[in-house]
Amino acid sequence: MNSTAFDALLWTALLVGFAALPIFGGDYLVGIGLAAAMWLALTQSWSVLSSLTGYVSLGHTVFYGLGSYVVVVTWQQTPLAIALLGAGAASAAFALLVGLPVMRVRGPYFVILTFGLAELVKYSVLALEAEMGVSSRLLFGAPDIRVIYGLMVALAVAATALRILVDVLPFGHGLRSLRENEEAAETVGVPVARYKLFAFVLSAIVPGMVGGVMAMRSTFFEPIQAFDPTISVNIILMAVIGGGESARGPLLGVLFLVILSEWLWAKAPQAYMIILGLLLIVFVLKFPRGLAGWLADWQRARR
Amino acid sequence: MWLDTLLSGQLLFSALVTGSLYAIVAVGLNLVYGTMRLLNVAHGDLVMGGAYLAYWSLTLLGVPPLLSLWMIGLGGALIGLALYRSMFRRLLIASADPGRVEANSLLLFFGISILVQNTIAWFATPTPRAYLYLDDVYKLGDTAMTGNRIASLVTAAATCAGIWLYLRHHVVGLALRAVIDSPLAARIVGVNVEQVHRTSFVLGFASASVAGVLVSMMEQFSPFVGFPFSIAAFIVCILGGLGNIGAGFVAALFLGVIETYGIALTSLNWRSVLLYGVFVATLLAFPQGLFGRRVRS
Repeated sequence: MNSTAFDALLWTALLVGFAALPIFGGDYLVGIGLAAAMWLALTQSWSVLSSLTGYVSLGHTVFYGLGSYVVVVTWQQTPLAIALLGAGAASAAFALLVGLPVMRVRGPYFVILTFGLAELVKYSVLALEAEMGVSSRLLFGAPDIRVIYGLMVALAVAATALRILVDVLPFGHGLRSLRENEEAAETVGVPVARYKLFAFVLSAIVPGMVGGVMAMRSTFFEPIQAFDPTISVNIILMAVIGGGESARGPLLGVLFLVILSEWLWAKAPQAYMIILGLLLIVFVLKFPRGLAGWLADWQRARR
Repeated sequence: MWLDTLLSGQLLFSALVTGSLYAIVAVGLNLVYGTMRLLNVAHGDLVMGGAYLAYWSLTLLGVPPLLSLWMIGLGGALIGLALYRSMFRRLLIASADPGRVEANSLLLFFGISILVQNTIAWFATPTPRAYLYLDDVYKLGDTAMTGNRIASLVTAAATCAGIWLYLRHHVVGLALRAVIDSPLAARIVGVNVEQVHRTSFVLGFASASVAGVLVSMMEQFSPFVGFPFSIAAFIVCILGGLGNIGAGFVAALFLGVIETYGIALTSLNWRSVLLYGVFVATLLAFPQGLFGRRVRS
């Protein structure tokens, strides 16, 4: 079976699985499906920026948090659809605003900068809420988990489609070329600054909407949780474990970690975090191409 | 009214204490990053580890922090040596392309940081801890100073001065500065680069664990206090200039002043906003770090 046919089969099976889950599964399974869809949406969006350009973002939680904040602040004052679109738009606007200066920073500096930026926004929102005398906000009348699940699956599909689309577009080739050598890409006519900014903004939209949807799931909002850096860390781990070469990578990484966390997180959170740390070290050092790279090698070897 | 607050010796003293603490934390990060281009985000976790060791030395063995800090500093040095021997020497030699080490090292250290924090949290529980030590108050004019803060200020200043003198006058210290300036040129003129790397690890780890002892004397700590120290140290290194140890001390005091006076003018809610604000602004102003790419080839 060639790689394209395999991909088509894989994505169809996944979609059927996601569609069948709420029909056959109970609330527990739907909850797991929701988590998988959420991480898939986040990691695919992240990969559009970080896997393709090599600018590793350790701060995608900032978009998630901003989206949550938008939905929570406008709760029951605007129609839900508008609020969710607003969440995506707010994230995109923030990315556009900070994108140019931020994307000038390279390598490890970029990684640590994105982390710092997310923390800065988190503590700013926290201080702002404290000044306004709000410690946490509650959401009344949030929709049923199955509605939330449906929205999240739609976001996961959108993010995956975006990654697959960017992969084949000239834009995507431009991003890959600037990852290999920015100066060379610039010389052969890739509009490096514009492409980087565009990738940054594109990768921010879906995470904003994901944050908005998750605010309805948790039915309350606290800046510390909405802007939790663990979200960024999880995204990176899933992407690193899965591999960044194609849209398959994030899927494999997400499935791997969702299953692992289902098994361990509730029982021994610290042990789970220790394993995450170990996995990060091992994959960065020994398997930089991730599970997807290993799968691709295996398919090639069988042919 | 607020002018009086700003001019009081109290604030100046607390800015000095905070600044000297940042200086002793940052000097280690600066050495390791300056000589090897390894951005050790787990550096702050060494501080946290030192804090726990001091706590246990006092509560379990009854050894006061000002005595245990010698042992803890030595322990930090040994850990640095062991890590260098077991992992990093091979990593640094094996990598033909330093750019690749640099890009991956951050994720690697981040993994180590997660690992260390949660291992400590597992064994020692995540509950914050603190102990009382030298908490009698000395008065100098209007300024009230607790003994532990004075001890921290003096220890941090002495450690920094020691490292500075070592870099100025000892032959390995001089070699270390040569490697920071230009690794390639240093190697060509016959500097033992391996010895320099080893020394940076030893000095960096020792000073960070000593800093941890100082932290534990003054404030409460949990397994997760390390990261803000890494961030603060990173700000100091960029502001002062990579590998520029002397300017780093000035930058550390500057950060201490900004933090202390910033909080006095606003409120404690804004502490982290200030810290991360300075951090983001610094990186945006110096996108490659002060000396970043120039040294790559």
